[in-house]
Amino acid sequence: MSRIGVFVCHCGENIGRTVDVARVAEAMRGLPGVAHAVDYKYMCSDPGQAMIKQAIAEKQLTGVVVAACSPHMHEKTFRRAAAGGGINPFLCEMANVREHCSWIHEDREKATEKAIDITRMIVEKVKRNAPLTTIRIPVERRALVIGGGIAGIQAALDIADGGREVVLVEKEPSIGGHMSQLSETFPTLDCSQCILTPRMVEVFQHPRIKLLTYSEVESVEGYIGNFKVKIRKKARSIDESKCNGCGECQKTCPNRRIPSEFDQGLGKRTAIYVPFPQAVPNLPVIDREKCSYFRGKAKGSKKEVCGKCRAACGRGAILFDQEDSFVEEKVGAIVVATGYRLYEIGKEQDSELLKGYGEYGYGTIPDVIDGLQFERLASASGPTSGAIQRPSDGKVPKRIVFLQCIGSRDPAKGIEYCSKICCMYVAKHTMLYRHKVHDGQATVFYMDIRANGKGYDEFVRRAIEEDGARYVRGRVSRMYRDGDVIKVLGYDTVNGTPLSIDADMVVLATAMRPQPGIQGLAQKLSVSYDKHGFINEAHPKLRPVETNTAGVYVAGACQSPRDIPDSVAMASAAASKVLGLFSNEELEREPTVAVVNADLCTGCFHCERVCAYGAITRKEIRDRNGNLVKVVADVNKGVCQGCGTCQATCPSKSLELAGFTDDQIYAAINAFAEL
Amino acid sequence: MQELRELAKKLLAEGAVKVVVGYAEGRQGVRPIFAATPEDADKLIFDPRCVQNLATYLSPRRAHVAALGKLAVVVKGCDAMAAAGMIREAQRKRDDFVLIGVRCGGVLADPRASAAVTEATVAARCPGCEVREPKIVDHLLGPLPPAPPGASALDARIAELDAMTPEERFAFWTSELAKCVRCNACREICPMCFCVRCVCDKSQPQWIESSPHARGNLAWHMTRALHQAGRCVGCGECERACPVGIPLSLLNRKVARVVAERFDYVVSDDPEKPAPIGTYRLEDDQEFIR
Amino acid sequence: MSEATAKTTEAKAGAAFEPRIAAFVCNWCTYTGADLAGTSRIQMAPNVRVVRLPCTGRIDPMFIIKAFERGADGVIVSGCHPGDCHYSAGNYHARRRFAIFREIMSFIGIDPNRITFSWVSASEGRKWGDVVDETVSRIRGLGPFAGYKNLVEKTHAGA
Repeated sequence: MSRIGVFVCHCGENIGRTVDVARVAEAMRGLPGVAHAVDYKYMCSDPGQAMIKQAIAEKQLTGVVVAACSPHMHEKTFRRAAAGGGINPFLCEMANVREHCSWIHEDREKATEKAIDITRMIVEKVKRNAPLTTIRIPVERRALVIGGGIAGIQAALDIADGGREVVLVEKEPSIGGHMSQLSETFPTLDCSQCILTPRMVEVFQHPRIKLLTYSEVESVEGYIGNFKVKIRKKARSIDESKCNGCGECQKTCPNRRIPSEFDQGLGKRTAIYVPFPQAVPNLPVIDREKCSYFRGKAKGSKKEVCGKCRAACGRGAILFDQEDSFVEEKVGAIVVATGYRLYEIGKEQDSELLKGYGEYGYGTIPDVIDGLQFERLASASGPTSGAIQRPSDGKVPKRIVFLQCIGSRDPAKGIEYCSKICCMYVAKHTMLYRHKVHDGQATVFYMDIRANGKGYDEFVRRAIEEDGARYVRGRVSRMYRDGDVIKVLGYDTVNGTPLSIDADMVVLATAMRPQPGIQGLAQKLSVSYDKHGFINEAHPKLRPVETNTAGVYVAGACQSPRDIPDSVAMASAAASKVLGLFSNEELEREPTVAVVNADLCTGCFHCERVCAYGAITRKEIRDRNGNLVKVVADVNKGVCQGCGTCQATCPSKSLELAGFTDDQIYAAINAFAEL
Repeated sequence: MQELRELAKKLLAEGAVKVVVGYAEGRQGVRPIFAATPEDADKLIFDPRCVQNLATYLSPRRAHVAALGKLAVVVKGCDAMAAAGMIREAQRKRDDFVLIGVRCGGVLADPRASAAVTEATVAARCPGCEVREPKIVDHLLGPLPPAPPGASALDARIAELDAMTPEERFAFWTSELAKCVRCNACREICPMCFCVRCVCDKSQPQWIESSPHARGNLAWHMTRALHQAGRCVGCGECERACPVGIPLSLLNRKVARVVAERFDYVVSDDPEKPAPIGTYRLEDDQEFIR
Repeated sequence: MSEATAKTTEAKAGAAFEPRIAAFVCNWCTYTGADLAGTSRIQMAPNVRVVRLPCTGRIDPMFIIKAFERGADGVIVSGCHPGDCHYSAGNYHARRRFAIFREIMSFIGIDPNRITFSWVSASEGRKWGDVVDETVSRIRGLGPFAGYKNLVEKTHAGA
């Protein structure tokens, strides 16, 4: 038999004014299993709490109900008091007779009746409460960072500097990401590579960072604190231990006209190549699709078609027969920082949502380029060594038209969101252009200017006022090539006039999109993503760098369009979350998690499907001879957040959410009406 | 018929299966037969009297059947959907059993009457059937008969009920369900009822009152209808097994229609197509929520 | 029926029927919204008894059946608006579950107007008051739902 103690609070006058608290206590005294029921002026005061502790000892209470305010207000307080009195804190609950009763009713009789019902329902529930203990999970205090752009680099360095080991995985041959392609950065116009490359080297040299470039996450198992990650190291065709990055191999490669990814197709590279001079690590990779040796082999040629790089390598570092290899890493936390790519305006789109830009020639006009291409043209390390020249004939353009919001904020083209960085980098481009081509005229077509960062609006004003950029509010309806010029037909919505501009070059600020393959990665990590493929944060306001999978964090432009400062801030935030998680050897979690009754579980796994956290796994039940008896659901206590959706979904009720079991809820409903 | 018998004998002879579960002549029409020998295999038949859903023998609850060894089961389209359902819900693996599909032109409402399938004699569930040639099966036998004639009598009856006032419907169902003796035949015969412990047998707490009065019966049948949402294959076996003649198919069919309308989901014999409960769409209708 | 309740009923004999309404609400949005109604002193009908669950995802249709069996005249189910679920998707699963359950009830002949489904956020104290008052007055109009609770007697009387 239960021995419940009920403590009815007056809350000064707050409850007592409307509810006859003495009568509530009196009514509770009449219930079976209630050993003690009193009312008191202020239950949350020290003497009030002392009353509870004393009653637990003196009356040998097995449960405590405090009829007072909302549990959101004082559940912790009273559970602590109950624990202080010597019973499990989860045997104490609150009946909310203030917010849900005395404050919202005036009729004393009805409010008192309701308070009695509310308290009785909780008493019946508490009779069936079970003691619960905090869950502890061991934590592997190493982190995995996926993506070696500025966000991944920052997160990795912060975690490593915080004293924990990091595995940094980058799918390209070098870290650096898009930031390494940029010329100068807004709003300060400092050189991107000058601030980035030292960070890249720092990553490479950091004793606690294990860098895996040209590698991808193959599979992820486990849960917070205990992930097992399998990583595919794609074959570079290079013996990393022998190569010293001398570059002799590249000099001999006969395939010299392959469009360089790093230069956005504006420059050329060889088939064996280092993506850019400051690459980290400074190791070449053979592009097997373009390499004559591999192409010959693929065609079935018995003789080696090429092999010049191998002959040129003084260290025997070229390994044509190298295969992909796999490494397994145990980590406790994962930071996703896979970054972005740009909308390509061509006819072929990789998503049904996207339409392409026929009115701008579907990307066929050679002197219509995108923002990243302009970055390469403006970059001192770029294909033109920083000279602004148009791709078609190398002439210096005297008139450049910049178009903002290409793809972004255009539901007709499939993307509703704002890409956030374009307003700023277009302003930057007009300045870089004017600084290099003093008599050049930049014209910008814009919808609005969103320059909401520190020093951002000042920056845009500078572009207009000091560097002569002409800003036209309006859209461009059509572009076509007319001899040497590009005709740009638009509309100035401020003056209400149509415009036709002859341009030598056009730069499109195309939308930021998540990297291809992000959905596959998200599925491996069981994190959710929006319809565009951006990773969803756990809460848009309060948990911006967490995902709905505990232990998996997100940073940078894979979550939504971000500029460099935002990406770095997010990365540091994610790193601090990781370091917080790693600050203890064990992770403590609320014990209100689902528990499976393996005897009754039928193994239909409806629960697995509804769990937003991937907390349900499949467990094999075997007999003593090792024969499989059945497969049942199993809840990972480290991952379960305690929503209980699984329990309501389970047809046979073979799962129970601790703290809200069927028995407890049934009892509360049963006590709903006094019979 | 000969095709079926030859196939059964071949499967048994090759040792591909231990038993072929099919239909044979019985004293009151057609009965299930567990054919383990060529002699038994020669008794196999298939015709419109074969109303039973033999996929129910694949249920993991029937350990005594599983103990016989690997089964081949003769399935109509509706039965094949039940086998697919068990795979979909992780109860069986596809290669645990062999499915001998039979092309179907509808079965009889009264299997004891040996009659042609006409608008008057066809089982209420058959008209409009879309799985007369099941895809999930290992073998598909017989020519495709003409589609079952007419329109479903179930849909007509549902329309009548929908037209009633809530009070009239409540009176109808409480009087029907008051007859329920809670024998659980509906559950036992159902291929999609495979819980180790049915929720109606749960005693702590006892969500569903166990004694056979209308209130507990209502709770039981509402809960069962809910649990069958997006899962019921519409084979009508629950209603056929009911000793007191409760029109359970009406309830199941109604739910299937709700699921089809709201969630664009129709139960099929594709085991990969996930059920609508357990998933959601952001844009699901919520006109009933304020 | 307790003595107190009996007295009240007697005192108002022939007067307004007082519906008994059970509410199943999620902890993070509606329960907190109801707390806000309290702190804002928003007055509402005293007929509703709240059962707090972590999430609408935890709300089982059997809770509703049981509430009716125990004599509830009406039921409220309320949780976070779409997109606001503390557990990211519990409310979406609940929405599907109740979309079907509501149709089953309606087909059985339980007037769906006996149940209010609503999304009430933590900031919608006012809306919670409206949901309560609107439900109470609607159920008052429908009258007592003794028909359900008394089905036991009906069977036995008929037998």
